[in-house]
Amino acid sequence: MLSLQNLTIRLATPESDRVLVQDVDLALERGRMLGIVGESGSGKSLTARAIIGLLPRGLVASGAVRFQGASLLTMSEREMRGVRGARIGLLMQDPFTMLNPLQTIGATLVETLPAATRRARAEVKVEVERRLAEVALPADVAVRYPFQLSGGMRQRAALAAALARDPELLIADEPTTALDVTTQDEILKLLRDIQQHRGMSIILITHDLRVAFSVCDDVQVMYAGSVVERAPASQLRQNPLHPYSSSLLLAELPVSRYVEELTMVPGRVPPAHTVAHQCAFAARCAWADERCLQTRPPLEEVDAARWSACLRVGEIAEELEAQVSEADAVSDRPVAPALGAGLVVAESLTKTYHSSSLFGSRGTVRALDDVSLEIVEGESVGLVGETGSGKSTIARCLLGLNRPDTGRITIDGIDASDFRKLGRREERRVRTCVQAVFQDPYASLNPALSVGSALHEVLEFRQDGNVEKRAVGELLDSVGLPASYASRRPAQLSGGERQRIAIARALAMRPRLLICDEPVAALDVSAQAVILELLRQVRRERGMSMLFITHDLSVVRQMSERLIVLYRGKIVEQGDTDTVLDHPTHDYTRTLRAAAGATVERAIQ
Amino acid sequence: MSADASVIVAAPSAPARRAARVPVSVAIGMAVLCAVAVLVIFGDLLPVQDPLAQNLSATLKTSSGAHLLGTDQIGRDVLARVVAGARGSVVGPLVAAFGCAVVGGSLGLLAGYSGGLADVIVSRVVDIMYALPGLLVLIVFVGVVGGTYWMTAVVLIALGWPYQARLCRSATLAQSRLTYVEAARTIGFRRSRILRRHVMPNIFPIILTTFMLDFVSCVLGFSALAFLGLSSTDGSPDWGSMIAQGQAYLTTNPWISLAPALALVAMAAGATLVGDWAYDRLARRGVGE
Repeated sequence: MLSLQNLTIRLATPESDRVLVQDVDLALERGRMLGIVGESGSGKSLTARAIIGLLPRGLVASGAVRFQGASLLTMSEREMRGVRGARIGLLMQDPFTMLNPLQTIGATLVETLPAATRRARAEVKVEVERRLAEVALPADVAVRYPFQLSGGMRQRAALAAALARDPELLIADEPTTALDVTTQDEILKLLRDIQQHRGMSIILITHDLRVAFSVCDDVQVMYAGSVVERAPASQLRQNPLHPYSSSLLLAELPVSRYVEELTMVPGRVPPAHTVAHQCAFAARCAWADERCLQTRPPLEEVDAARWSACLRVGEIAEELEAQVSEADAVSDRPVAPALGAGLVVAESLTKTYHSSSLFGSRGTVRALDDVSLEIVEGESVGLVGETGSGKSTIARCLLGLNRPDTGRITIDGIDASDFRKLGRREERRVRTCVQAVFQDPYASLNPALSVGSALHEVLEFRQDGNVEKRAVGELLDSVGLPASYASRRPAQLSGGERQRIAIARALAMRPRLLICDEPVAALDVSAQAVILELLRQVRRERGMSMLFITHDLSVVRQMSERLIVLYRGKIVEQGDTDTVLDHPTHDYTRTLRAAAGATVERAIQ
Repeated sequence: MSADASVIVAAPSAPARRAARVPVSVAIGMAVLCAVAVLVIFGDLLPVQDPLAQNLSATLKTSSGAHLLGTDQIGRDVLARVVAGARGSVVGPLVAAFGCAVVGGSLGLLAGYSGGLADVIVSRVVDIMYALPGLLVLIVFVGVVGGTYWMTAVVLIALGWPYQARLCRSATLAQSRLTYVEAARTIGFRRSRILRRHVMPNIFPIILTTFMLDFVSCVLGFSALAFLGLSSTDGSPDWGSMIAQGQAYLTTNPWISLAPALALVAMAAGATLVGDWAYDRLARRGVGE
């Protein structure tokens, strides 16, 4: 149905000619679901965009893309418009910007319906209702605007629009990444149901192996612009035939158990053009030898339906399989460090956000509703909840970025309910006690300051002047970066590296409690493990307490001994992490746990 | 597989602009600004005639070897007067634009970062100032009160700061919501330090561009006053009054007003071009919005 042969995408400018995606082959049959998995920079989204002819300006695709006998690359823009939407649908990542905010969902759907069904009003209404029902939305959604819908509902509405002209192929680019776990699972199920019901084909692009395993028939793994492995999903899960696939599998954190040592892949993804004539993964591969650097290994069929682009696959297949099955071994949580005195106490915090519109209608959102928690010196507390559960509001209150409406915060014996009322010395004591690492590594560093001067500034502030020259280097070393990084600017760093600098900046204050607000949510899987392992290590070395905020149960399992579950601003359950996750008592925790486990379990079946 | 296996398609390769290369228009703009700077700084040392020396026996001469651009109605050398007029036409506007950047920039930073009452006061004052017809106020003020050269600069600052303030305020507002500013607050840095070291460098491209635009409008403001005969100069030439005086001879001896007018336009255009280019470059470096 769809086949790609030697699809190569390059950035061609007068000055340079760089390969971004190289020799991608792909074959998709009718009624199949193919997952394309890769980290950022792997070229997975570019590949999809090349198929539907929506490459950004300046990028050139060559090779062959055949869709039901027609060559898509040689089509004129006009012919292409007949294919796009009508025969190949597209579903994008961000449900917040995909829909026109000024149109009701119904209007968006009507606009996309094929002309034949756009005649009588009554017919159109029935048709719209039918379309909404297909994606499990109630009929009254048709008269609502995107901003009135939740993220999951918006993604469903967008899916209905993408399906409106009954395409034979749907390309879904990270359709669930921006959604909460429970919603994510629902959308994936829906995609699978619709695909089977309609007998259509889907290409699902994702960075998350679990997502791909849970719904796809076949999986194609991409790395630095090339396909490194193609296999049926179930076989890839058990027995990867490329070192990169294997390391991706190992980097996935299990939700069901604690892992003593998180597997890390050294280094970072290279730009595709630097590895055009060698194995792209060689620099990070434990098995690489000279041959891997001399030629670019082609994707070859090594077994029935199994394709791998590893030269040494014959020799190392068994080792890879052993590595994956070994990782399932259960390891015990280390004995928790001895706990000290209470460090931070929050008593019955409430916080309500008001929103007012131009015409007076006011909405209130209860972000925190009588939340009390205590963090003791030396312990790591996990705080989980979905979007809007108030978990970040707690962090912001403890950091003085927001003020609770009522309630009391005590930090290191000082009343810090209102940071503005603190004296200079008190504020200083509170600040040196609590520091934070934030979610978005791209916004959390000042783009105008070099890494060195940003860290130096904090050290100087902490020590009241006289910072030794090597202090910045030592700080960088403590987060696993060479001292030479001091002269770099944030724009030159990868997401994971930026996050390490953010950690270094917090550590420069020598805090006793480090609040981590979704520190790995924006990172690739391999970078995630590095940051989590680093945080564990600094905690061990410095005996710091940690408040670890996340939506991801498998992350919190690895990072915290005690767990607090937050739902709509209320604490619904708390206790020992293993107990809460293995034997949840509250309904909400059960749903959360089931959603996190479901994708994995379906993947194993 | 068909024969079109490796057809190269769709090559709308936009000429990618390299950050290091300066476009021709900007290079010309820079050259003009440099030339003006030379006139301002070294005008006294240039081998031209005395701009004030009158020669009533050689009035309204057209260009010749002795007077490249001819002479005016009382026999003064036009070239010498254009050179000498640069200082008066540039220094005042430069000071005024700088004053706008300092006053408007700091008030904008404060209003955008602190919010609350400071923001309300600054924003409302800016609104009121926007409603004033600037040039008219300037003319009335200088005409009635009688302004000296530096008084004119002060009035231009008073009229011009709101533009800087409004742009700085919104840029600061956008930056303040970014995590790096919150991280700086979390460390416990004082407000003045956050504004100076963290926010300011990131909105600097906007301040710089607005400074260039302010400079151009101040040049025009000063020249307009001089043109109307409202500038109380000590008799030293400036471009605005030269244009005014030369008007009567536009058909017979055009260089008297054309030369200073061209200098004025070239400088204003140069400043605008360089300002835009500097903004693009700084913004591409990752600083700014």
